[in-house]
Amino acid sequence: MIGGGLLGCFAARNLRRRNISVALLEAREDVCTGVSRANTAIVYSGCDHKPRTLKAEMTVRANAGFDRLCRELDVPFSRCGSLMVSLGERGNEVLRRKLAQGQANGVPGLRLLGGAQARELEPGLTDKVSMALYVPGTGTVNPWALGIAAGENAAANGAEFFLNTRVMNISAADGGYILETEEESFFCRCVLNCAGLAADMVQALIFPPTVRIMPDAGDYLVLDRETENAPGHILQYEPEDGGKGLSAVPTVEGSLLLGPSERENGTDYATDREGLAFIREQTLKLLPEIDLNNTIRSFAAVRPNPRKVDGGSIGSFVIENPAPGFWSFIGIKTPGMTCADELGRFAAKKAAAYLKAAQNRAFTPYREGVRKAHGLCPERRNALIAEDADYGEIICHCEDVTKAEVLEAIRRGAVTVDGIKRRTGAGMGRCQGGRCRQKLVELLALEMGIAENAVTRDGTGSNILGGRYEAL
Amino acid sequence: MRHCELLIIGAGAAGTAAAVAAWESGCRSIVLVDRGHSPGGVLLQCLHEGFGLSAFGEELTGPDYAGRLAEKLKYTGVQLLTGTEAVSVEKEKVALLSGRSGFRPLGFDRLILAAGCRERTIGALPVTGTRPAGIFTAGQAQECINLRRQSPGDNVLILGGGDLGMIMARRFTLEGKHVIAVIEQGRSCSGMARNYRRCIEAYRIPVICRSTVTEIHGEGRIQGVTLFHLDNGEQEYLPCDTLITALGLIPERELVKKLGEPDWLYLAGNCSRIHDIVDSAVAEAEKTGRDAALR
Repeated sequence: MIGGGLLGCFAARNLRRRNISVALLEAREDVCTGVSRANTAIVYSGCDHKPRTLKAEMTVRANAGFDRLCRELDVPFSRCGSLMVSLGERGNEVLRRKLAQGQANGVPGLRLLGGAQARELEPGLTDKVSMALYVPGTGTVNPWALGIAAGENAAANGAEFFLNTRVMNISAADGGYILETEEESFFCRCVLNCAGLAADMVQALIFPPTVRIMPDAGDYLVLDRETENAPGHILQYEPEDGGKGLSAVPTVEGSLLLGPSERENGTDYATDREGLAFIREQTLKLLPEIDLNNTIRSFAAVRPNPRKVDGGSIGSFVIENPAPGFWSFIGIKTPGMTCADELGRFAAKKAAAYLKAAQNRAFTPYREGVRKAHGLCPERRNALIAEDADYGEIICHCEDVTKAEVLEAIRRGAVTVDGIKRRTGAGMGRCQGGRCRQKLVELLALEMGIAENAVTRDGTGSNILGGRYEAL
Repeated sequence: MRHCELLIIGAGAAGTAAAVAAWESGCRSIVLVDRGHSPGGVLLQCLHEGFGLSAFGEELTGPDYAGRLAEKLKYTGVQLLTGTEAVSVEKEKVALLSGRSGFRPLGFDRLILAAGCRERTIGALPVTGTRPAGIFTAGQAQECINLRRQSPGDNVLILGGGDLGMIMARRFTLEGKHVIAVIEQGRSCSGMARNYRRCIEAYRIPVICRSTVTEIHGEGRIQGVTLFHLDNGEQEYLPCDTLITALGLIPERELVKKLGEPDWLYLAGNCSRIHDIVDSAVAEAEKTGRDAALR
């Protein structure tokens, strides 16, 4: 496996359902740090894709199985339903088309609502709403929580993870491939390339390119969970001018995620002034009562947009099999998170057939998340502290995350401040780590046995502390 | 379930002063809780002088000021629970307290919330660009330098010319760091004249007025910012390896946000309103303590 994003983690997990020995090589210090770290967090239902396409079929199947998947992996999943909202005749037409498409794809429970009905469900919506398509099955999940859970489950089932391990060269060898990294070389019979933004480059290390990734970027805003008039459903706005709409997602953490904007040639994770202004404008058109002063964060996501070598656009996931035993997954963008497990199963099936691997009877699909103190009743929380006093010491005051959870996150592989955030939620609240960050630095340094000024936010070069340390 | 007449959340200057005043007014069942290891709150990281001119008639450091209050507290029968966090307050007049010894409810008749304030972060500003390491709030940087003896960075830009921004400009300078400038939206620094004299003028720290930061640059660690001049609309790239945000304080009332304004709830100190000087927070809190004691 090359790449430890959502897809890599799910592919590794599904490969371990068979007797296939798996090594996952990830260039960064942790899993889910690339494309998977930022997206719209929506578990789609399948109204957006033409019938009988790979994306439509996978999305509908994945959505139906999402409750079971999240139960197995102990990941919070909110099937809050979505409303696709239009403000005029052109948008209404789009909704009717999506209804027909969704029905043809077998999406259950779809209903077209009038403006008044939509506002009954979501009183914060603008009174200009003319129509809404209600999709009860749409949900939301935290992308990195999902990916990390799949990775942990894969590791518990015997997949080996090699972090800080960038593949520099690939060559064919007798009966397989040799992957060269900076430190060592790996021989494998089968390669699954799930390298996200670099998937085209990885394939080009050994085969001529057929697809190029032209990344595009989008900006997001996050609003505090106390924001008044925030919606309870996912809202997807279909504007009258036919341009880019907006999603508003009440996340499992309770915050409200708004976005994305769309710009071409976005190659880094920097936010853009116009993009953020666009989101604010669209939000107020859809939800006029929302107070955007509740913004606690903005961020940008980068999407691996696949293009043909001649520049032509590609709508589907690109799955290539350029030589026996080598599969590339290129341009896995929306609805990539929804389909991560389906794509992983697909990958595992191909590899298993090629390797003639038998079922792994020892495989367990179950994984337990980091035990959280927050949300427990006082008696159970008290019992938890009796077991481990660190459960009584609160590190992140906004999100109510205890020292025990932080230490467990570090034991499970968090090596950066963001790694702890992704595993516990510490630092995600309204003070954005203002009060807990230095405590996290202290705990990381202690547990990892490194100096505090060596602790990074999210990998090499992002040291939290800087400058002449000795001077102090 | 344990019960007290008066519960005070937060043993900073305001909470401690309120507790002492309530005791002196005759209330004999007072519990004071704080998440820290000792009372004092944010005063403990304010190593500079200038506290207490009107309350004690002399200039004290933050820890000295906190020490004076703690000393007074010692001679009362107020029950102090340190290392204890109030996780929630219920409308049935019960607080849920978490500490290393357990998670327990505590009933009360009246509550003084003295939870202080939190800092506005850069996320609240319309600033674009990357999200590198090397950005600290002023309070965070103060904690790093004064309590943890850590170095946030060498070449420092300070965004916000309020009291905290100016004090941190001096603090970095005293640590031998290079403060490139203090960036202020207004025509002059918005903090107290005394701090301007003692922190900015005395150390000749450049102030760039009528300006703000609109974009952050740098991948791993911050490398610079785009400075926007509000009067002429000109932009300028300013390199730095550390950005300190001193963007103002917000009263911390999340614990009671959903409770409305019940007659048993009092606010004291910076969680009531942001005070310029600690003496004024203490004077107000003492009155609140007396009021809450006498009911």
